[in-house]
Amino acid sequence: MTMLEIRDLAVSFATEGGTVRAVNGISYALKEGEVLGVVGESGSGKSVHALAVMQLLSPPAARVETGEIRFRGTDLLRLDDRAMRAVRGRQIGMIFQDPISSLNPVYTVGFQLCEVLRLHLGLSRRNATTCAAELLSLVGIPDARQRLASYPHELSGGMRQRVMIALAIACNPSLVIADEPTTALDVTIQAQIVALIKRLQRDMNLTVIWISHDLGVIAGLAQTVNVMYAGHIVERGPVRSIYKDPRHPYTVGLLGSLPRLDETVGGRLRSIPGRPPDMTQLPPGCPFAARCPQASERCGAGMPPVEDVGDGHSVRCWHWRDVVAARAA
Amino acid sequence: MSGDVLIEVRGLRTYFPIRRGLLRTKVGDVKAVDGVSFHIRRGETLGLVGESGSGKTTVGRSLLRLQEPTAGAIFVDGVDFLALSGAKLRQTRRRLQMVFQDPYASLNPRMKVEDLIAEPLQIQGVLRRAAIRARVAELMDLVGLPAQARGRYAHEFSGGQRQRIGIARALALNPDLIVCDEAIASLDVSIQAQIVNLLEDLQQQLGLTYLFIAHDLSMVRHISDRIAVMYLGKIMELADRDAIHERPLHPYTQALISAIPVPDPDLEAAREHIVLEGDMPSPASPPPGCVFSTRCRFAQPRCSAEVPDWREVSPGHFAACHFA
Ligand SMILES: Nc1ncnc2c1ncn2[C@@H]1O[C@H](COP(=O)(O)OP(=O)(O)OP(=O)(O)O)[C@@H](O)[C@H]1O
Ligand SMILES: Nc1ncnc2c1ncn2[C@@H]1O[C@H](COP(=O)(O)OP(=O)(O)O)[C@@H](O)[C@H]1O
Ligand code: SF4
Ligand code: SF4
Ligand SMILES: [Mg+2]
Ligand SMILES: [Mg+2]
Repeated sequence: MTMLEIRDLAVSFATEGGTVRAVNGISYALKEGEVLGVVGESGSGKSVHALAVMQLLSPPAARVETGEIRFRGTDLLRLDDRAMRAVRGRQIGMIFQDPISSLNPVYTVGFQLCEVLRLHLGLSRRNATTCAAELLSLVGIPDARQRLASYPHELSGGMRQRVMIALAIACNPSLVIADEPTTALDVTIQAQIVALIKRLQRDMNLTVIWISHDLGVIAGLAQTVNVMYAGHIVERGPVRSIYKDPRHPYTVGLLGSLPRLDETVGGRLRSIPGRPPDMTQLPPGCPFAARCPQASERCGAGMPPVEDVGDGHSVRCWHWRDVVAARAA
Repeated sequence: MSGDVLIEVRGLRTYFPIRRGLLRTKVGDVKAVDGVSFHIRRGETLGLVGESGSGKTTVGRSLLRLQEPTAGAIFVDGVDFLALSGAKLRQTRRRLQMVFQDPYASLNPRMKVEDLIAEPLQIQGVLRRAAIRARVAELMDLVGLPAQARGRYAHEFSGGQRQRIGIARALALNPDLIVCDEAIASLDVSIQAQIVNLLEDLQQQLGLTYLFIAHDLSMVRHISDRIAVMYLGKIMELADRDAIHERPLHPYTQALISAIPVPDPDLEAAREHIVLEGDMPSPASPPPGCVFSTRCRFAQPRCSAEVPDWREVSPGHFAACHFA
């Protein structure tokens, strides 16, 4: 069953420096129980697209130009504030990169969890407290009962992220959006959080959107991957197909930028030259053209359409066949 | 490629006093670096990895005497660096430079690129104006900044370009050693690769020696000749880049390596991750015995009683574990 369907979503921001075209017409569908990884350069629109789903973009600067965001069939963009508040937290949970700024520093962890449980689920104070303690132990916090009385600053980074996860899953949501939830953490703590999310995803049959810079984390976690560049999904497909058989020059470059385990001493990284375009002055054609080894005249003239390359894998590149041929050679 | 020993560190300790109360009485120490020994050969890259708070930055800062060590010895080309003062100290210090993590915070946004790069040259005060201009142009070319950029301000640049400015500054006085402290951590993957390639090219051209501090072990493996793994102020293991990854001896190194996700869905599905429980203890009250004992899968009663020796288990492969 389709849980979430995004159609032709475009979001822009009015800023002093001009209009930032953060998301430029993206479409995809997410099945129930699916884990989607979203990767891409900083500024490529990953977070903005997530904030649009949650309706957490602040008008008037932020504007949804076009599109639909259907969650279980309902277009979230058409809901009023009250209806959206009921969806947010209750049916869709969100986990942010920086738990310290998303947790309220002046309230205890227990109070914040109980608030959510009472507001959305109408639990009594006593039941909410019991449930809050259960949630904390579910996310692997030892001495959960005592921990309810802790303030966020009294917890380590990893513990705070566990609390964020407890908050996000408190009301048994069907969709969880995690925006770089482990970027600020050490790898050993990241491994704890990834293991936790995997367990919860399986046990609760969660649908997950996981945004990350880390192609390693996504490789171990996602079933499907969206690769974003300059506000477009430039490539999308099953995780194995994206990593083993990338068709878009940007995806190829991204994977080539990583050190390989089997490389020999003195091997060079195949970095992508240049840097991403200014989002207030996007070029008329393919936004990757200035950095692309395959670029031709055609690329500067028009944005390539989404092309299905089979097995649920799609790409937006005029010359993806050349990319495949270049790899075969 | 790697020649004689440039840097030798013995029993380095850097403590930060913890003060309390009105009289600011000292009540203890944060043992940020607590007895580490290593050397770096000329032209070599030594990688230094570990969780945040393990003391990596403090090692780097102590090495440059940006932070005075509490105890231990540092030799630069055989000369006792901690005993130097005055002109001799300045001369040696110039040979040791640092590139910082945050290219946003470490450069004054109100200075032009040419002034930022010229600053170390002006402070040194040897070159004349024209010579400084020429040297700035040369440095910008060396790090891949376009010549037209010289009049622009640091805040107009992207993270990767700012990091190039930081590298140009570090190179200005022809150093022998550059400490790169998380120099690529805040950059995008594709830009990280550009900067790492640049650092490697510069090493080739100029014969530089690096202490490369990072928590991204796969990038550290790529750039380093040898790797030291830190935990709670101590080095747990030090060996060849490949030995650290393929034959890690210390339980902490094993856990750290297994925690790094690899960008390959098949390998990831097949791998077993050792998930370490809990957090690193505070360096203000490290556990007795082996500092890793509170999280170690193999800990025995002996581990919390006796500090393990720093042993050369096989040639060039050092570890601090009773059972390695
Ligand atoms: N509130 C805002 N006002 C103006 N521009 C914004 C705002 N939020 C985001 N943007 C811009 O929108 C674009 C997309 O931003 P977004 O935060 O989605 O990137 P991202 O892919 O999440 O990047 P990162 O990897 O750095 O988190 C960027 O150009 C960004 O500067
Ligand atoms: N100037 C300082 N004053 C007090 N404590 C410090 C100072 N600098 C670092 N520390 C402490 O020393 C320990 C090691 O820090 P650091 O060297 O920055 O670690 P890393 O670079 O590995 O993250 C940490 O507990 C840190 O809080
Ligand atoms: S459309 Fe052209 S410029 Fe864009 S990625 Fe494909 S080949 Fe490169
Ligand atoms: S000495 Fe003991 S606690 Fe320390 S790493 Fe070795 S086995 Fe583990
Ligand atoms: Mg983001
Ligand atoms: Mg540091």
